[in-house]
Amino acid sequence: MTLTISAPPHIKQDTTFRKITWIKFLTLLPVSLVSVYFFGLYALALILAGIGMAVVTEVVIQKAFKKEVTVANGHAPLIGLMVALLVPGEAPIWIPIVGAFFAVAIGKHAFGDIGSYIFNPVLAAWVFLQLAYWSAMYPVSFPELGGISDLFLENGAGMLVGVSPIALVGGLYLIFKRYVEWKIPLFYALTTLVLALLIGDKIGHVVTGAFIFGVLFLATDSPSSPVTKNGRIIYGILCGLLTVIYGHFANYVFAVFYGIFLANCVASFIDNNTLPRSFGEESFLQRKYRLMMNKIPLEKLGVKIDD
Amino acid sequence: MAEINVMETIPEKMIIPLKQHKGDICEPLVSKGEVVKVGQKIGECPSDKCAAIHSSVCGEVVSVEESSHPSGNRINSVVIQPIEETECEDFTPFKDSGKEQLISAIKEAGIVENYGTPTHLVLNPPDCDIDTVLINATASEWVGHNYETPLEYASQMLDSLRLLMKAAGASRGVIVLRNDDKDSIDAFDGLDYEGKTIMVSPLIGKRRVDYYFNDQNTDIIVVSQDKIYGKNIFEYFTYNVTGRKVPFRCTPASAGVAICGVKSTKAIHDLVNTGMPYIETVVTVSGQVNNPQHLLVKIGTTFRDVIEACGGYSGEPAKLISNGVITGVAQYEEEVPVTKMTTSIIVQGKDEVLKDISKECIHCARCVDVCPVDLIPNRIAALANQGRFDECKQMHVENCIECGRCSSVCPSKIHIMQLLQYSKEAIAKAYEDMFEKESSNLKLGCACGSE
Repeated sequence: MTLTISAPPHIKQDTTFRKITWIKFLTLLPVSLVSVYFFGLYALALILAGIGMAVVTEVVIQKAFKKEVTVANGHAPLIGLMVALLVPGEAPIWIPIVGAFFAVAIGKHAFGDIGSYIFNPVLAAWVFLQLAYWSAMYPVSFPELGGISDLFLENGAGMLVGVSPIALVGGLYLIFKRYVEWKIPLFYALTTLVLALLIGDKIGHVVTGAFIFGVLFLATDSPSSPVTKNGRIIYGILCGLLTVIYGHFANYVFAVFYGIFLANCVASFIDNNTLPRSFGEESFLQRKYRLMMNKIPLEKLGVKIDD
Repeated sequence: MAEINVMETIPEKMIIPLKQHKGDICEPLVSKGEVVKVGQKIGECPSDKCAAIHSSVCGEVVSVEESSHPSGNRINSVVIQPIEETECEDFTPFKDSGKEQLISAIKEAGIVENYGTPTHLVLNPPDCDIDTVLINATASEWVGHNYETPLEYASQMLDSLRLLMKAAGASRGVIVLRNDDKDSIDAFDGLDYEGKTIMVSPLIGKRRVDYYFNDQNTDIIVVSQDKIYGKNIFEYFTYNVTGRKVPFRCTPASAGVAICGVKSTKAIHDLVNTGMPYIETVVTVSGQVNNPQHLLVKIGTTFRDVIEACGGYSGEPAKLISNGVITGVAQYEEEVPVTKMTTSIIVQGKDEVLKDISKECIHCARCVDVCPVDLIPNRIAALANQGRFDECKQMHVENCIECGRCSSVCPSKIHIMQLLQYSKEAIAKAYEDMFEKESSNLKLGCACGSE
């Protein structure tokens, strides 16, 4: 009989990075199918071009640098798919190819592979394409949510991702299973909606496929968002703020991508400034509250205090 | 509600290690060929940081040699071949004794907490005053400890708490139960003890024991809280229950608190009422065995005999773990004895054995969300991996209770718990060096009872 020796813990959750990425990939398939229905088979060509180029780039880079080839963990195909989804339905076929190459080669590997990149590779690629090939990347129309039917099939969609907001709710399953984090999407969505209401923007312009995609899939990309509990809340609020600032003066589709991209810049800064205290130590607000309450002579006022 | 079965079969060989606690190893009092009786002292303490060892069976000493120990090391042990007849030492119960007699009796009876510290050191630490005794009943239910009814459990625990308070010279005693442990809470709630009705009070927010002591105007209270588990929970446990902070590398004694487990409490109760030393313990056997159960076994029984008493393996065993799947130690062989620190034996089959390879951290923050003491485990692990221990210290790595939750949820399968332990040890070593060099007016150490 042979006994295995290993360090504890001896049971672990079966969640792996590979599982998370492939499930994300699967939850994006419905919207891809709807976009194929909407834009025709050309959309399928765009998606396959994006995925194919991302995989090829990853294999070439990892072979060239003599690293282990990690295509099987699904991250490169996921990036390729996401880049293709952010492209207008009429874009030339080389747009997702260049985008996927930029995302994997520059956005991911130049910054040091999974876990080290500071910008979401998909957004980095989108911003690059937007700046370099402006005319090819500008969608024919921007969606506006008119009625319930627009939630299922958005006729004004310019990008592949905008065709059907409801097809993206698979992202909620990711949150439910804790494959992505819940604080960022919640506070991002809340901040955007509340601010947009306050300054009087039409909610129909805000809630688009791009926005839901940004909230559930782009903002929650783990390496480019903070890890501390408070930091994630601040990050979500910041994403929402930046989105509304851009969206109010331009359009809410681009606003989502630029907002998250800019918030990525300060993610580590937020992290470093929201490190939790040791248990039993007062936080800044608690201390202020206690000092303030100490000055009020509650006992003289006849209030009975516990503790 | 599980039953406790008593292991009836007499094994062929008993291995009794001469060190079943944290501290100094005992000196053997017997040699090859001698016949020992049940309860006979076979290991004598060379110093105070030690607990005596007793024979748990009647038989002939085969050898005194280095043998395997569940901690993974090889420890000098007394190997005994048991015989059928059982001849006992005369156990004399003692009552109405003072603090000193009680402490020395606990030391002589070799009672050890399940985390390894001898109980007499917990209750009577050198140069330290204990004012509060806590019984941590959050980890083990009453059924695990050979009590017949919940009522018996509750009243015996309260009696034992009185004894512990007397031994420690403490004025206050607390029994801490677990919130979801309904059996125990029902057993204590509404019980009349010394003319007062016991009420189980939950620890919520800022309401810690001080509040309930004032509120109920008594010196013994029963409280409940969420389960805390881990290898090193005392700083956090002490803070949670009493609101006192324990300095880094110190025992709770420096905050005036003694923490006892249910097992040692029961052992002290037996010692006072029957005079029996600590020679048997309850072990939970689970996993790939035919009859998983709670089993009362004699200390020194090998894991093989315990598993045979549970009906043997169901399938090919691949991993044998002592003391829990989260923090336990995987064993090299079956020929390891049950010691005073063993609480459970778990057998894993071939397909349960993990074969993960650590990957890069993806900053998913799952470890941050599960950490019970608000650390950022992924960042501390990365810093520890690079040897930046001073930065680990700034991030309060010393608060880690080593519960292993972070390692268990990690999707990249990083050994976060080990990296945190590594940095804690490195920081503790740095402090050891500092003691001699620092000037005397700078106080760095504990009031008493450093680890």
